[in-house]
Order: sequence, then C-alpha cells, then structure tokens
Amino acid sequence: MYHPRDIIEIIAGNIRNTRNPFGIPQALVNRWWVKSQIPKQGDALLFTGLMYQFIPYIEKSTGYLAKYENTGLAGTLRFARYVPSYLSGLGLAMLTSGREKKKFNRILTDIVRILQASGADFYYDPDLDRYSGVLLYDLGDQDGFVAHARWVANRLQKAGVKKLITVDPHTTYAVKELFPKYTGITFEVSSYMEKIHVTATNGTWKVALHDPCFYGRYLGLSDVPARALSRLGIECAEVENAGAFTHCCGGPAESISPKLSAEVGERRLKQLKATGAPIVAMCPICLGNLRKLGAEVADLSTVIADTLQ
Amino acid sequence: MTRLNPEFAEEMKHFGEDTALACFNCGTCAAICPLLYEHFPRKMIRYIQIGAKDRILQNAQELWKCLHCGLCTQTCPREANPGEILLGLKRMVVDHWRKS
Repeated sequence: MYHPRDIIEIIAGNIRNTRNPFGIPQALVNRWWVKSQIPKQGDALLFTGLMYQFIPYIEKSTGYLAKYENTGLAGTLRFARYVPSYLSGLGLAMLTSGREKKKFNRILTDIVRILQASGADFYYDPDLDRYSGVLLYDLGDQDGFVAHARWVANRLQKAGVKKLITVDPHTTYAVKELFPKYTGITFEVSSYMEKIHVTATNGTWKVALHDPCFYGRYLGLSDVPARALSRLGIECAEVENAGAFTHCCGGPAESISPKLSAEVGERRLKQLKATGAPIVAMCPICLGNLRKLGAEVADLSTVIADTLQ
Repeated sequence: MTRLNPEFAEEMKHFGEDTALACFNCGTCAAICPLLYEHFPRKMIRYIQIGAKDRILQNAQELWKCLHCGLCTQTCPREANPGEILLGLKRMVVDHWRKS
C-alpha cells in the first residue's frame, strides 16, 4: 500500500496546475472529437468529464504502482510531487500507447452515434469539457475538490450551459449531486443512457451487466441500461449482487493499493463469470479494472452501437 | 495509552460528518464491506464515538482502503451513513496532515 498522502498531494498538485489528475495538457488528453462530426450547437452539452480518455493513462500509471507496491522503492513516491506537473504529464502521455488511447476514444464516438440515432438534441465543446475533480472528493481533499469544482461549474455557467449529458457514473454523480451542494450551481444532468431510444429486432442474446456502485446505489440508475438493452433484444443475465447491492470492481483503490484493488476485483469477476455470458461494463473505472484482471469486457456503448450497424 | 477527546464527534461536524453517534455497533457494515477481514468501517466509527482521535490518526492510512462503494450505507439499519463517516474522517486526516 502506498502512503495516501503522497498520492493525494500528487493528484491535487496536478489538478491545481493543469486541471487534470495526471498533469497531461488538455489538448493531448482530449482528442477523441477531432475527426468526429458532432454538432457545435444544441440543447444539452455532452460532458464526458474526461474519464474514458484517462483510462489508458490510469492503466499505465497504476501498472508502475503495482510493480513497486510494498517494495523499497515505494517510499520514493513522496518525491514525485516535486516534479513539475506538465513534465510528468508529458512523460506519461508519451509512455501511453496510441492504440490504447484510440480504443477508449472509440467508446465516446460510439456514444455520439447512439445519441444521434436516438434523436438527442446535444452539442460538444471540447473547451468546456473538463475533469469534474471527483477523485479529490473521494480521496478526502475537500478544499481541492471544491476549488476545482467551482472553476469547472463557473466556466459552464458563464458559457450559458444549462443541461449536461454525461457518459460515466463518477462524473454524473459529481455534476448532479456534488456541484449543487458545494458550488451552488445546478445543471439539469442526464446520463446518455437515459437518452437512448433505439430499437432492434435482430438480437436475442444475453450479457452479464456489471452495475457500477455509483449507478447502482448513489444514483439509482441500474434499470435504465437494462431497459435500453431489452429494447434491442439483449437480455441481462442474473448476476450475483446487482442493482442497489452491486459489488465493487475494486477500481477506486487502484492508486493507493493495486494489490487490494485486484483482490476485490477478482471477487467481482468471479460473480460475473459465473453467468457464462459476455461481460459488459458501463463505467470507465470498472471497465479498466476488470480488463486489467484479464477479463474480456465490453463497454455498454460498444454493445449498443454494434446493433446500429 | 490512548487519550480520549470528548469533543471529537463535535469536531467531525466541521468535516461534514454528524451521524457517527447514531451507530449502535451492530456490525452490519463490517459484514457487508468488501474489506471483510479489516473490521471495516465499524472500528473507525467506534473510535469517533469514544473520542479516540489519536487512534484514528495512528491508523489513518487504513481509511484509504475504503472503496467508497456505499454498501455499508445501503445496509445500515440506523441510517448512520458509514461510508460518508469514513469520507469525513479522510477529510479530517488530510486537514491534519496539511496543518502539521
């Protein structure tokens, strides 16, 4: 286990200096939209919160953390906070494979295709799409979270944004529940899952849908993806521990203790594998963590977008 | 020897936590927590109740094992919100580290 103080101060410093937890400049981390045809005007802003874009970097950095956890080198992490954020961010960006970045960018282009096929009225502005700061909240850096959340919420408010469409549970929770409470600024927030209105009759198969904690418990949205899949002829297999009682994937512990994260994740993976159905996740953290354990896991958006072809 | 601070539960309100005293230590949270072997999070809540702030600070790193998954909060019969209590403790410890 790493000392939480070292991890918190690195992340807090990066967010203060670069507005993202890895210190990677926005122009490098958020490139999925460059070749996409996305409306620039519309009713609701597509707000990714950059979580899917971060997954390749999380995998790369936690890979190093896993290698040195509980070794003599683990203690040297305390010096990492003195490395300038942009320098460490650029280093991480260069070490992370382009293929991995493309894989996760595809999830976002799939979400756009699904929203367009569903007739959703939305637009995208990469300059307004910023990290929500939710990791600082989870780690207990309340002052850091509130300062960053105010910066993000103020930018959105100044741009006249009233409605947000989110793509992951952590960002959804942050902008829907935490922003009003800690910044005093409220947006009308919907998950993209709530905007899915596509039907198909060509599929009759089963998936093992892993409910993330934040959809299952904190936001109570578990039924939404199941209904969307059902309209496409895709049935959700009965998974041990689901909905409000879903089991954590272990992902939230991946920076503090990759070992603990894997231990909890293995337990969840066993429950999902017991169904015999292909595993589907709908949270970037769950997706990354379950894949890290060797499982083949598809994102919900990929499964739905494939039925549109 | 552990020094007890009777004002500690009150002090925790500053970190957004005011439900620890509702806990009657039934252990449901410890039974459902994915960190089964850690007696989590009941032990930390008990420390707040008896004012054992020093004990929490000595074991502070343990708090970050909490996944904030919310299963304890979902099942708490007293609606004491154990997950948020642990989050409040993390805030208190971060504040303490930065001030010390």
